[in-house]
Amino acid sequence: MHIPDGYLSPATCAALYGTAAPFWYVALRKTRKLLFTRLVPLISVFAAFSFVIMMFNVPIPGGTTAHPLGVGIASIVLGPWASILALSTALFIQAFFFGDGGVTTLGANCFNMAIVGSLVAWLVYRAVAGRSAITSSRRVVAAALGGYLAINCAALCAAVELGLQPHFFKSATGAPLYAPYPLGITVPAIMIGHLTFAGLAELVVTGGIVAYLQRANPALLRFTAPGAPMPHDEGQPAATSGWRATKPLWTAVGLLMILAPLGLLAAGKAWGEWTVHDFSNAAARQKIAQVSRNVAPPAAAPSGLERLATVWTAPFPDYSPSFVHSAALGYILSAMFGIGAIILLSILGGWIAHKVRPGPSRASARTEET
Amino acid sequence: MGAKHSGKRGFLERTTSSFVDAMEHAFYAERTARVDGLLQRIDPRVKLVGILALVVPAAASHSFAVILGLFAIAVVLAALSHVSFGVLLKRVWIAVLLFTGVIALPAPFVTPGKVVYHLPWLGWSVTAQGLTSAGYLVLRVETAATLCVLLVLTTPWTHVLKALRVLRVPAVLVTILGMTYRYLFLVLQSAHDMFESRRSRMIGELTASERRRVAASSAGVLMSKTFDLSNDVYEAMLSRGYRGEVAILDEFRIGRLDWAMLSAFALVSIAAFWLGR
Amino acid sequence: MNQINPNGGAPPPAFELSDVTYRYREVTALNHLDLTVNAGRRAALLGANGSGKSTLLRILNGLCFPDEGTVRFCGKPLTEESIQNDGFGFDFRRRVGLVFQNPDVQLFSPTVFDEVAFGPLQLRWPPDQIRRKITETLEMLEITHLKDRSPHHLSTGEKKRVALASILILDPEILLLDEPTAALDPKSASHMIDFLVRAKDSGKTVITTTHDLDIVEDIADECFVFHEGRIAAGGTPAEILSDEALLRTTGLMHSHLHVHKSGQVHAHSHLHRHEH
Repeated sequence: MHIPDGYLSPATCAALYGTAAPFWYVALRKTRKLLFTRLVPLISVFAAFSFVIMMFNVPIPGGTTAHPLGVGIASIVLGPWASILALSTALFIQAFFFGDGGVTTLGANCFNMAIVGSLVAWLVYRAVAGRSAITSSRRVVAAALGGYLAINCAALCAAVELGLQPHFFKSATGAPLYAPYPLGITVPAIMIGHLTFAGLAELVVTGGIVAYLQRANPALLRFTAPGAPMPHDEGQPAATSGWRATKPLWTAVGLLMILAPLGLLAAGKAWGEWTVHDFSNAAARQKIAQVSRNVAPPAAAPSGLERLATVWTAPFPDYSPSFVHSAALGYILSAMFGIGAIILLSILGGWIAHKVRPGPSRASARTEET
Repeated sequence: MGAKHSGKRGFLERTTSSFVDAMEHAFYAERTARVDGLLQRIDPRVKLVGILALVVPAAASHSFAVILGLFAIAVVLAALSHVSFGVLLKRVWIAVLLFTGVIALPAPFVTPGKVVYHLPWLGWSVTAQGLTSAGYLVLRVETAATLCVLLVLTTPWTHVLKALRVLRVPAVLVTILGMTYRYLFLVLQSAHDMFESRRSRMIGELTASERRRVAASSAGVLMSKTFDLSNDVYEAMLSRGYRGEVAILDEFRIGRLDWAMLSAFALVSIAAFWLGR
Repeated sequence: MNQINPNGGAPPPAFELSDVTYRYREVTALNHLDLTVNAGRRAALLGANGSGKSTLLRILNGLCFPDEGTVRFCGKPLTEESIQNDGFGFDFRRRVGLVFQNPDVQLFSPTVFDEVAFGPLQLRWPPDQIRRKITETLEMLEITHLKDRSPHHLSTGEKKRVALASILILDPEILLLDEPTAALDPKSASHMIDFLVRAKDSGKTVITTTHDLDIVEDIADECFVFHEGRIAAGGTPAEILSDEALLRTTGLMHSHLHVHKSGQVHAHSHLHRHEH
């Protein structure tokens, strides 16, 4: 999700730097007041940790791996403002030193990942966890959900920023000057990868670390849980792992992924009309009309898209609603369905295996090795 | 953000190899910064401001020729600073093609405009606007990335950070960046060692859920160690008299060559903006 | 360098701890401990690993404060409040330097140059004076060639020397060293020992914690044995090292089997003070 230089127009870059700046300013002031002399060592070391977390390959259901962002856990442990600073620091070093992400787009990347990500993660976590005990499984679910939504909101922001580029910034001949794809393509394309792979990695890492801390070091969770009752033995690890709580969450996510596309399909024509308007012909036709006064039969662009669309809608041969011919939407539906199916099958498989072979495997999985 | 298919132990191995990669990159950058080339001799503040003054028009310009010109200048600077083209090719040019190039690939087909070509079998149409757009994107990213990498390969990173002060970045942030960089490699090493030891103790297969657990608990352990480290560093700072004030001492001195280069950067940057507006 | 007492008598002790108790997470690290270290002396704090010596040094360095009891530094009380006071606080930090056991914790700056500059910068010395002193100090410890290096790439011996440099640049009167020879290769360790030997006539007060009995006679004029949160015994190195019963009960010495060149195998104490 790190946007490189050249994808965003200077106006967009400046606007996003300008939007990020007040957040940075407030974050610095708040953390200074909170941490005083601890500010520098805590943020620095945590930024180093975030950097390393971003390099983890996290296994997710389906046998693949993805990179987490670490914004969820940073926000839950440090609070949103310190998390904004720590993540911005990590992003800066990634951009300047390792070339991952641009320098003109650093403001945008920090806004999306560090700022929006931290705030969403924290708000969702607080809202869902409420005043539950530090060691409760509800907190693990809240954390996992917070991480998942945070990374998806960040991705959505990035998708919108990129998708608006061709609309506003074109050359005299109508060629997009920066990111070339409109919203109709960027939003589905980016959201797929994050609703599924990256989002799940973040979910696993955020929920998993909180579950681990509940056992090993609950004090670290106290900062963002002001109203929560501590276990009566301060610092005593939880009797049962909060990790188990993520099982229902997986199931929920899996079901969501299967039902959402089915639901969209079932909604039928009404949804379809709207989609067709925005994603395919109207926009393209408008652009063509604007741009090419003397060339290109309007059918040229849509026909190219339609060819693409048939490739992606092959899994749904019985469906003829027009919106499915939108390449992007068809793709997202099949992908979501596929991932959702894989998740549910994995859970089912794990459940069956567990029933068949209890005991030793569970014990070994619980062993904590440092 | 990518998804990869892994073998049973794949995820640990791949994570550790990316750690190693990061450490190698840093090590390489430290070495090239010590070579005696043009950019290496210039004051870090001039370099920072100068190179950024070239990156911005590269990312912004409406003129293809201007961006190409900036790219050429970057290549010349690289040559004069003894930065090998092989390295640039491997670390920047090809990497950008594999990422942005692939992203830009569909653009000629989906961007509306004047059709200039039809692909033989698939019949997909290629538009001029699409080609231009893809070209802009790839060239911008290549140019900007080359310039940034030049800055990093010819300047000790800690000097780049100190140079940020000239851009009015608050001293506390510069200090945080410096300390993050310092501890980055310690945390990387610690994570690397932890993963290596886990790998050596993992015999037989793990289920998917167990693998997730390993990843999550490794991250948890790393976080706990991180906190302990930050507490220890905090005490070490207090022990040396730290009371919250950050002060930065540099050894920068501006000479004639620096002023000359600064003027050159300024002229090129202004010309690029003007020509590409 | 010695503190001159305006009353004309002997200077107050560098440190005076009375009835100090410190608890941390259900462990009582220091248990009604009494300790007096006089100015200008080199003292060694002996104790087995994990016995709480590091905690004691942290208390001496004003990094943590006892739950009960008092700590006096050169006659003045060392408390959480007193160290906040700018005048006393700055003075204390300049006059007392602590070399941590883990150099990675102590070297927190991006380069060696920055690390050695840190202390003087905190004390607000003028920049040119700082640059001069840095050059001098690096030369004194023979690490000038490491000036622009990042701490991560240094060997443990080099790191310890940088740590020393970062403290010595302020020319403190009191040096606290936590296990200075631990994890050092023999050559670096001998450098460190030489440094501590030479400190004898410098007038500085040096307090070293160690569990390495072999170096004690060289680095210290008086020893304190630390056991179960208090000082179990004090005396000259010769006195302490000859008290085998004491050393064994405090875990500083053990018996183990070993093989002599002649092929004989037997068990005896770690301090091989007998002839064959």
